[in-house]
Amino acid sequence: MNDPLPWLILFLPLLAAVLIALFLQGKPRLSALVSVGAVVVSFILSLDLLAQFLGGAMLSAKFNWLRVGHLTIDFALRFDALSLLMVLIVTGVGAVIHIYSVGYMKGDPGYPRFFGCMSLFTFSMLGVVLSGNFFQMFIFWELVGVCSYLLIGFWHRRPAAADAAKKAFLTNRLGDFGFFTGIILVWSMAGTMDFIRVREEMMRNPELFDAAATGVGLLIFCGAVGKSAQFPLHVWLPDAMEGPTPVSALIHAATMVAAGVYMICRVFFIFNVPALQIIAWIGGLTALMAGLIAVQQDDIKRILAYSTLSQLGYMVMAVGLGEPPAAMFHLGTHAFFKALLFLAAGSVIHGMSHEQDIWKMGRLKERMPLTFWTFLAGALALCGLWPFSGFFSKDAILALACEKSPTLFAVGIFVAFLTTFYMFRLILVVFFNRSKSDAAGHAHESPLIMVVPLFVLAAASIFGGFFGIEQFLAPQFAPAPEAASFFIKAAGFGFAAFAAGAVTAFALYFKAQSDPLPAQMQWTCGLLRHKFYFDEIYAELIDLTQESLAKAANALDFVLKLVIRALHGTAELTGRALRLAQTGNLQTYTLLFAAGIAVVLYFMLLH
Amino acid sequence: MTLSLDWMIPLIPEEIVIIFALAALAVDFAIVRRMNPAVRWRVIGATACAGCVGAMIWIGRATNYGTSEMLALSPLTQFIKLALLGLALVVVVLSLDARFTRHTGEYYALLLLATAGLMLLISSENLLMIFIALEILSVPLYVLTAFDKTREASAEAALKYFLFGSVAAAFTLFGISLLYGMTGELGLGAIAAKLRTQPVEPVCYAALVMTLIGFAFKVAAAPFHFWAPDVYEGAPAPIACFVASASKVASFFVLAKIVIDGFGPIRGGAAWNDFRAGWMPVLAVLAVLSMAGGNIAALAQTSVKRLLAYSAIAHGGYALLAFFGNARQMLPALLFYVITYALTVLGALAVAGAVENSANGDRMAAWAGLGRRAPLLAVCMFIFMLSLAGIPPLAGFFGKFYLFTAAAAGQPHLGMLWLVIVAVGASAISLYYYLQVLKQIYAVPPPAGAMPLRASRAALFPIALLAALVIVFGCAPGWLLGRLSAVLNSSAF
Repeated sequence: MNDPLPWLILFLPLLAAVLIALFLQGKPRLSALVSVGAVVVSFILSLDLLAQFLGGAMLSAKFNWLRVGHLTIDFALRFDALSLLMVLIVTGVGAVIHIYSVGYMKGDPGYPRFFGCMSLFTFSMLGVVLSGNFFQMFIFWELVGVCSYLLIGFWHRRPAAADAAKKAFLTNRLGDFGFFTGIILVWSMAGTMDFIRVREEMMRNPELFDAAATGVGLLIFCGAVGKSAQFPLHVWLPDAMEGPTPVSALIHAATMVAAGVYMICRVFFIFNVPALQIIAWIGGLTALMAGLIAVQQDDIKRILAYSTLSQLGYMVMAVGLGEPPAAMFHLGTHAFFKALLFLAAGSVIHGMSHEQDIWKMGRLKERMPLTFWTFLAGALALCGLWPFSGFFSKDAILALACEKSPTLFAVGIFVAFLTTFYMFRLILVVFFNRSKSDAAGHAHESPLIMVVPLFVLAAASIFGGFFGIEQFLAPQFAPAPEAASFFIKAAGFGFAAFAAGAVTAFALYFKAQSDPLPAQMQWTCGLLRHKFYFDEIYAELIDLTQESLAKAANALDFVLKLVIRALHGTAELTGRALRLAQTGNLQTYTLLFAAGIAVVLYFMLLH
Repeated sequence: MTLSLDWMIPLIPEEIVIIFALAALAVDFAIVRRMNPAVRWRVIGATACAGCVGAMIWIGRATNYGTSEMLALSPLTQFIKLALLGLALVVVVLSLDARFTRHTGEYYALLLLATAGLMLLISSENLLMIFIALEILSVPLYVLTAFDKTREASAEAALKYFLFGSVAAAFTLFGISLLYGMTGELGLGAIAAKLRTQPVEPVCYAALVMTLIGFAFKVAAAPFHFWAPDVYEGAPAPIACFVASASKVASFFVLAKIVIDGFGPIRGGAAWNDFRAGWMPVLAVLAVLSMAGGNIAALAQTSVKRLLAYSAIAHGGYALLAFFGNARQMLPALLFYVITYALTVLGALAVAGAVENSANGDRMAAWAGLGRRAPLLAVCMFIFMLSLAGIPPLAGFFGKFYLFTAAAAGQPHLGMLWLVIVAVGASAISLYYYLQVLKQIYAVPPPAGAMPLRASRAALFPIALLAALVIVFGCAPGWLLGRLSAVLNSSAF
């Protein structure tokens, strides 16, 4: 099929980015218009594609990108239920956030650059989603990483932002190290990188990966650990909040971090049982750890960031438990309400003249009523209260855990309790209570262009659960057995967790002027406030490796110096005439040169 | 007996280059010596350009291929010569604004002579010819490295380069004489035939190692890399560009030729479960040392040129992975990688040269705020750095990908996977120091009172062109790879 439609969806944002980069640097209004226009048109076109898909059309588009010897790589766009859902989320939520940014970023000197990067990001993300093979996916995967680097470091004159951008890029790169190795392995063993063909090969020959099957699966999963910020590579996401708030909403909540979850759903067939078990536990662990940390954070964006980590943990857990549709369902609803929460938080920050500490806010419900009500809708969806969208998707995951693993079910319920607790803590401290600073007293509601997107997302967050996303996806994966009893049990426990969380939060924070918890539980709170000391431990580890490397280098130097002195002595004895150059340095170098030859000869002749 | 000049015909491109080298000298001496430097550099530079372009046109049109005992002319060798001439042309253009010497004619003449040496090296089929070509290349490079008389570093680098080069050459010559003693042959094909039939003695391995040393030195593989950082830092910027790009491409090609054609029978093995003596373990050891050593040393550098030198050592290590691929993949993978790498590093060093000119040094601090002082240069550097780090969709990524897959699938039972994992890990680390440079460029504010950096058009145009090529070869590698495969298939390598 050579329909231009799929290509347009992908390349319109790129076109916008190129236009902005080349021609619109000095024209903020026009650049915003082009960028917003591109993503909105992409969204409308993907709705059209959805209609075609529901009408039974098989959609795909590809051309041959490279054919050398037996290496053939297609540039293929793949449309199925899974990718269409993601395309709709990326362009739909993306469009709303683009529009919101028009207001939020107003007056920033880098306005055109911002929209250029946003468009480039949309393009890359669509590329990841539509990829038909590992190679293409990896290219866009890294492009997404580059865009994230550019956008986190958008205010690059702030050292914290520049450092956060670097940290995010490097941490992701660690995960990609595994991903890339996994891709090379898949290609070497299966002889193809196309998702469909790899799957066929595996069906034809179940022993394809042999003993390496678990290894291959886990290496591929490494990519998701980096991008979706799972334990132990989660450290970059909270720092990424240094970027502008719309970026946090689009990239670090709704779409990019979801790419990891999407990827493991896309290549679900490659994981065997042991690999899936490890994936499930990493997801559960991340959910638990991030939920705990969120309880003691004071920065409004960081609380939301840890909550994102925790929800991503849920999704990864669902994939590990063998149910990608449940993960994607939660990914969809989460995209709505987390984008909403971030944009509403952005509205608060905007109204508070860029104050982010929740203990300096208070009583904002009266000053920013529209923001408050939409924030509340997002929060209730996140906590999973019926009939908000989060209820349905979270319940699906909890029911799954209930069926497959009691321990993970317990973890899931406890995380649900934590979620409610920290969200109500945030709401009570920020919107109720007494105002705790001048800025809070003078806070003002945001302009219309920022508030309308909030309402759109709020509507999606409330009703998103009724669209039947799970049923839409189910045919693509093995059908799940319907087990109503688990759903009811999970819903019961889930509501109990919600109630408990809400009640505890009210008891502790309804009138609190400062956080009462640290006084009562010093040790635990210290641990949580310092995020379990992950950053410190990693810094220490890096220092340690660097130090030991330096020491090793020193030791080597010392040995070499001894050898050189010994030889130098002999040279003196055998006659000064033989000494060529006196610079010393040169002699050392030449000696090392000869030593190098000796090493190589040793390997050759004695092995 | 009549004097026949037939033997000169296959060498016409080399002769064109040499004639223009002499012409550059003559023009300088006879016409432009007393004119002002700007005119003088332009006129002589144009002569040098004409030499490169003339040779390229001739190669593009000639189709008389053939192999003799000494020389081979095949579509492959001609293609690589074209690439080398292209790189030399960029260096010629970049030199146009150089003001570090008053000996313009000599400078360009030596540059062209070195280029002629490169071209001869590509065609040589005989160890002695290879050695001679290597020296024709090396001697002008030693002189050129020392060309900046205003700086002590230049002389020091040249001395080191020269001393190392001589030691390496001595080892290579020793290896060649051992080989000759054992086999009685100097032609690569003949040596391979002898090695295939007669039992391989230990001294043969010693000869192999000695011969490879000279090339390990040329490609700056650890532990024969000590000259590289000094030369990159000390040599005049365009010469550093030449050493890092054209000289490297040619050396890698000849290394491949020697080990495959000449030493094919004593391949050995470097798979984790199958370690046998031969050139494979030698190259595997060199690759690991280069990747580890280069990347770790680069982490600590404060001069961007030195950083690029250590990164070049690491990249040499990656390129060595190609030698473990199967016969069909290894050369396209190797050549694609080294050619795109040459384009990238040439651009990066050219930017470093421009920065150095304006700030008297290329310490990290000199790069602060480049993003605001010279936006175009900064964007180009951004592209070069990310390509070196292997970030898609730039050329460096595809090169690495193709290289690594070739090595992983090249040996049975994924035997070389260990080396591939080392390489992927090393390239993951390398991002760190490339980002340090970018951080200086974009995040650190320029020093108070810093003026915008104005690079000349002669520098800007090639740099922008190289950046564009890095993007194009990354987004559409099919063209270059297709050409490489096509010339390989018709060359019976």
